[in-house]
Formats: sequence, structure tokens, C-alpha cells
Amino acid sequence: MASAALPALAAPTMRRRAPLASFLAPVALLVLWQLLCLSGAFPPQVLVPPSEVARTLWQLAETGELQRHVGESMTRLALGFAIGALAGLAFGAAIALSRLAEVVFGPFFFAVWQVPVIAFVPMLVIFFGIDEQFKVAIVILAAFFPVALAAFDGIRGVPRAWFEVARVYRTRLPDLIWRILVPATLPAVVTGLRVALTRAWVVLIAAELLAADSGIGQMMEMGRQMFRIDVVLAGVVVSGVIGFLLDRGAKAIERRASRWRAA
Amino acid sequence: MNALLSRSWIRALIGLIAPGLFLIWWQMQAQAGGAHALAFAPLQSVGAAFVELAVRGSLFPDMASTLSRSLSGLAIGGTLGIALGVAMAIWRPLDRVLNPLLQAIRQVPLMGWLPLLGLWVGTGQGTELIVVSLSAFFPTLLNSFEGVAGVERRFVEVGQIYGFTPLQRFRLILLPAAMPLILTGLTQGLAFAWIASIASEILLGVGGGLGVTMQLAQMQQRIDIILVAILVTAALGFTINRLFLRLRQHLLRWQAPLR
Repeated sequence: MASAALPALAAPTMRRRAPLASFLAPVALLVLWQLLCLSGAFPPQVLVPPSEVARTLWQLAETGELQRHVGESMTRLALGFAIGALAGLAFGAAIALSRLAEVVFGPFFFAVWQVPVIAFVPMLVIFFGIDEQFKVAIVILAAFFPVALAAFDGIRGVPRAWFEVARVYRTRLPDLIWRILVPATLPAVVTGLRVALTRAWVVLIAAELLAADSGIGQMMEMGRQMFRIDVVLAGVVVSGVIGFLLDRGAKAIERRASRWRAA
Repeated sequence: MNALLSRSWIRALIGLIAPGLFLIWWQMQAQAGGAHALAFAPLQSVGAAFVELAVRGSLFPDMASTLSRSLSGLAIGGTLGIALGVAMAIWRPLDRVLNPLLQAIRQVPLMGWLPLLGLWVGTGQGTELIVVSLSAFFPTLLNSFEGVAGVERRFVEVGQIYGFTPLQRFRLILLPAAMPLILTGLTQGLAFAWIASIASEILLGVGGGLGVTMQLAQMQQRIDIILVAILVTAALGFTINRLFLRLRQHLLRWQAPLR
């Protein structure tokens, strides 16, 4: 699969595209959407034009409502992700480095890992109610598993010989961690962090739809209940943009992390 | 110590310690009484709930319902994903036109579509099926695209030498060469569809299924039923993933075991 794409076939533009084209395409999409609405093909209860969505977004921003929802969602995401990722890192490193820890906790971990995180929602609601704790807890869970797995795989992927060299040189544990383990496992761990961030965001939106008094998910759910299609579409746009930015930011960090290793 | 750990049955036994301790802790919490004892159902009631659901209750219909929702979603989303992915890889203008729209749709968290679909088609089983199909659509689309777009040039050159028609080229070269990635896409799509089924069932609570049972049990504060549903979800999800991987291996048995 290493050779270049065929002349008769498309180059995989899904991954690479010119900056101009990637700017033009969304604009064309918006224009099409607007024209579709102006043509009267859809009643305004079904689809409102992007100009209407933009006006709703502007109004929500003027009243400060949008900032409040985005802020609440981001706070939950940041708090839950930080806790979940740190715990995942520590746990993954522990079961990768100690055979005893792996034997004791590994099977339990891999068994719980079979459960989709979203399936824990009803249980967490009973435990924590539908308040803030529940939403942070579900984000912690969503972030924990990918990071733990990435840390485990990353450390297990370090060649045995490196540890042997460290032993020959009588490297102390802090040096072993900072000068061998961290650089060697960084790319895998950063990839795990990116996956965890994306999953945490998806799960948080689902949790906010179910039970919240604020946040992007709740804004959309309220919009649905009040038949405000403009608010729902504004929420779809905002959650999409946030998801896009989170993914792009994490990918940029990921590239830097692997480049450092290659250097 | 290490000699001890190298015996597989001892390892298995030690592996039971952590879950065992967890269950004992759980049981103690349940029997401690007080306000949060409600959240910890004693283990015997979880067992009783399992028997109740399996014998008299909705366990098997729920499993069938969630399973058929996942597989229908995979069939719809996967067929569209493969057809569109292959078409976009072969005919580039289609890719140019559809790519921005698809990329934009992909950025929105899957469950974020529920409120919009709720307004468009109502909060019923139709919305659940659309979300599940959407979840299976993207992995199959992306993998089919990559599979066809990444077919090695020399394979197609051989086809040119033999004077293949476009249809022959597609059927005899592109499709077999792309098959591993297409099947990878379907495997991922199945996993996504399974999770999306559970999620949409929990969020919408209609049409029956393991997620619907969880949601109802949550409203009735029946943690024992929730735990049974979670355990069954995990076991069933694990099993269908395994079966699908087997199927994939079987279908690709003509291939060198390289990837």
C-alpha cells in the first residue's frame, strides 16, 4: 500500500487538501444551504437558513447565554479529562511496569473496558444524581480507558534492551523515567490523549442531553423541546466547531510529540 | 515470585482477587444501610434480577432488539459508506463535491444530532436507527475510500495489459485489493453501531433494548437491573466483535497473513 495513488484514481483528499480549497468548500456549502432555504423548499419549522442560525448565535452571544453554555461544557471537559487522563496514565504505567500489578488488575481492567462508557450513564445517575458530579464522572471514565491503554501499550513497546542498558549504567529510577520512559512512550501516550479527548467530548454532549441545566448539549435539548430549530442548529454548529478545534489542536500537539522523537 | 506468576492458572486466580475484593466492598456498602445503600444493590438481588429478567422478563427480547438495531444500522450505514467511499475514490469529482459536507457532518458529536433529528423525524425508533446508521457510515466510508484509493499501481497495470474493461478492473482488481480495508471499516462500523444503539436507547428510551431497560431501571432506582444490563451489554458486545473478527479472517484467508 506504500506506492503512490493511481493516476486513474483519486488521491486521498480526505487527508490532504490545499488550504484554499479547504476554505472554499465550507463557504460553498453555506451558500448552497442558504439558497436551498431561500428557494422555499423547506418550511422554516424544518430548516432555517445559515443567516438565521448566525443571527441566533449572535443573539445568544449578546445575552451571554452562549458563553455560559460553552464555558460550563468546557469546564466539565477540562476537569474530567485532567483527572481521567492522569489516573489512566498512572494506572497504565503501573500495570505495564509491574508484572504483579498487571496480573492483579489487568483482567479486571480489560473486563470493564468491554462496557461502552455510555452504558455507565444510568448507573452514574443513580450514584451521583444528575448534577455536576455525574457529568464530570462520565468524562473521567471516557478519558481513563484510552489513556490507560495507550500508556500500557506505549511502555510495553519500549525495547527490553533499553532497560538493560539502563541497568548496566545503574540508572536511577527518576532518570529511567525522565530520560528513557517518557521520551520513548510520548508519541503513543499523546495519541491516546487525543483519542480520549475526542471520546470525552462526545460522551459529555450525550450526558448533557440527558440531564443538565447548562452546557451545549442542554442548550440543544431545550431548543428541541421549545421547537426552536435555529437554537438546535446553532448548538450543532457550536459543538461541531468545538469538536473540530479540539481534534485539530490535539493533532498539532501529536505531530510535535512524534517529531521530537524522530529528531 | 516470577516463577509463580508464570503459571497460567495461578495468574488467573490472582486476576480474580481485584474483582473479588471489589464485590466484597460492594456487598458491604449495600448492607451498611443508610442513604446511599440504595445505590448499592446487594449481590444476591443482582443475581435475582438476572434470573427474573432472563426467565420472566425482557432480557432476551432486549438483546434481540439492540442486536437487530445495531445490525440494521450497520447494514444501512455500511452499504451507503462502502458505496460512497468506493465511488468517491474512483470518481474524483464526487469526492470534491461531497467531502466538505461529509467532513462537516463528521465533526458534530454523534449524539448531538439527536435534538435535530428529534425535530425532523420525532424522538422514536426512526431517530435511533438514523443515528446508529450514521455511526456505522463514517468508518466504512473512510476505510473503503482509503482501500480503493490505495490500490497498488502495478495491479492496475496488469489489468491494462490484459485489456480489462472498467467493470472488470473494478470487480477483479480494485474490489479484492480494497477488501481488507473495507472489512476493517465494517468491523469498526459494527463496534460503533453497537455503542450508538446503547447510547440512543438510553437517551431516547423507545423501541426496547438493553439501553431502554437501563433507562427505565434508572428511573425506578433499580441498580440491580442496570448492572445485569451492563454485564449483558459487555458480554454480547465482546462476543459479536469476536465473531466479526473471525468472519473477517475467514473471508481474507486467501491473503498472506501480513496485515
